[in-house]
Amino acid sequence: MTRPAGVFDVRYEQDVAILRTIPQWITLALFLVFLAIVPQLFPSRFLLNVINMILIMIIAMHGLNILTGYAGQISVGHAAFMGVGAYACASFMTIWGLNFFISLPLAALTAGLVGILFGLPSLRLKGFYLAMATIAAQFIITAFFLHFRPDLFRGAAGMSIEPVRLGSIVFDTQEKLYYLIMPIAAVMTYFGQNLVRSRLGRAFVAIRDNDLAAEIMGISLFGYKLRAFFIGCFFAGTAGALNIAFRWTVRPDQYSLMDSIWMLGIIIIGGMGSILGGILGTVFIKVLDELVSALTPFLGRVLPPELASRIGASTGLVLFGLVVVLFLILEPRGLAHRWEILKGRFRHWPFTYGH
Amino acid sequence: MYFLFYFTLSGIFLGAIYSIIALGIVIIYKSTKVFNFAQGHLLMVAVLLGASTAHKLGIIGGMIFSVAATAFIALLLERLTLRPLIGQPLIAALLMTIALGYLLEGGALMVWGEGLYRYPELFPSEAISIGSIMIEQHVVWAFIVVAVCFTAFVLFYQKAVLGKAMRATAEDHQVSQSMGIRVTHIFSISWVIAAILAYGASVFLGSLSGGHYLNSHLGLKAIPAVLVGGLDSITGAIVGGFIVGLLESLVTGYLSAELGEVVPFIVLLIVLLIKPYGLFGLVRIERI
Repeated sequence: MTRPAGVFDVRYEQDVAILRTIPQWITLALFLVFLAIVPQLFPSRFLLNVINMILIMIIAMHGLNILTGYAGQISVGHAAFMGVGAYACASFMTIWGLNFFISLPLAALTAGLVGILFGLPSLRLKGFYLAMATIAAQFIITAFFLHFRPDLFRGAAGMSIEPVRLGSIVFDTQEKLYYLIMPIAAVMTYFGQNLVRSRLGRAFVAIRDNDLAAEIMGISLFGYKLRAFFIGCFFAGTAGALNIAFRWTVRPDQYSLMDSIWMLGIIIIGGMGSILGGILGTVFIKVLDELVSALTPFLGRVLPPELASRIGASTGLVLFGLVVVLFLILEPRGLAHRWEILKGRFRHWPFTYGH
Repeated sequence: MYFLFYFTLSGIFLGAIYSIIALGIVIIYKSTKVFNFAQGHLLMVAVLLGASTAHKLGIIGGMIFSVAATAFIALLLERLTLRPLIGQPLIAALLMTIALGYLLEGGALMVWGEGLYRYPELFPSEAISIGSIMIEQHVVWAFIVVAVCFTAFVLFYQKAVLGKAMRATAEDHQVSQSMGIRVTHIFSISWVIAAILAYGASVFLGSLSGGHYLNSHLGLKAIPAVLVGGLDSITGAIVGGFIVGLLESLVTGYLSAELGEVVPFIVLLIVLLIKPYGLFGLVRIERI
């Protein structure tokens, strides 16, 4: 980790500390204040809607980053685990009549347990074969919600819930939802960042880098892989439960294979094995996504309608494919690495060494 | 009885298509250690090319053009996007072929739109009757093509110098490079072979359902076919393709269409748990 000149570490705690200088503490405080007043700064409903989506996505991305980026267990079924969280939350609320704030942790726990179930193949499979097992999990989970117990899960139409309420507060506007989602996203980010610095996180990294060596060092591979699945899917479940508070409905097609692949693309773009990378990647992709949607009506005015609709429908696919291809070739370590380089440049300016 | 026969036949036909797709994936995997998720997308491009060029260039001209164009696209993809990834971790190649799939799908949508293109009729529509059994000709042809492909590739890998070079490349890139094999050429050749196979499958897919940009999703079903058979086994690809095709067709016919879509993946999960390297795959012993 690079740091400003003149900052020395005397103890281990200092070496692993994230915030080490007073300006960093001030920046954090300012950022928290900024987070708290976002709805006042951007009163537009559209912008808040996008911001809420990004925040929910960030929670899920932290989960995938811990599972795939840190522990090295490639999961191509992360959207399905998010769906498990959403369906579990909806079921707890509509069938058992629980409050959202009780069903949220229960749903996250359910998603974590389902994650352990589908993580069991990691006992025998690794790398590519495990990725295939998670693809199978993706198909089996979505098919389960689509066809099992239509009286409960309501098939393709999906389940819907009432707006979330706490006492007399009803979370029905984007602004209120922001204050519901943002603190959870902040806490989960804090939790994720600390988790990867802990004994558990170091064990994950050891397994990713060399599983044989990790086992010889005394790390129980099976136990830690399952823990990685549990934690990754716990995050996904939280995101899924928040997603249903945000959308009020949950359908199987909201959590398709395509979404799982998008998530993997996001952690490649943001940077594998970096909590910051998950945030940067999500913001990058969502902003790109919104730009594409904004572009389509514009195209309709300049181009003949048939051509415009073709281009509008395909731009998203082409652009996403292209962005992932370019990042893989040009910057496989993602935006987080670029950010570090940028910081280094500023720090060393006007000298060119260091980075 | 009639239904059983009918579903078995359509399962064999579907299985033949899966087998040819799976064969392409296996051939690329054998030499480059890259699982090509974009194989189904190559197939889709081949169908659309075949369907849209046939009435301009004639059936034969359209065929030649489509094969050449598909092979060229595959060559380009390998050279421009997968070559730089040699030495990168597994997930890079995995995501790269998926992203290429999206690129091809988006590109096809841009060029051809959402319409369904009619494929030229290559097979006579009269059914062949054996005794009291009627078999449609495209099923017979599909079966013949798979049988020919299988024999050709087994012989190719056993006898031909190029085939042996490809096997050596599959075993170890560095050693084969030092034995004078141009490993990068082998990579290109295996992608071209896969593209030609994708075209072969596209002929049958086209006569079954015509050309549409969502045809690529058939490639997803080839994943269980490849893995059930074993990633690096030609026999496995063929057998896996037929297993998946038959299962899908029979389950769809007797139980429900929804279950038919999922059954290949359930079988995949079970096979992965019992025999992780597939039915015919080379077992690599790793004690973890």
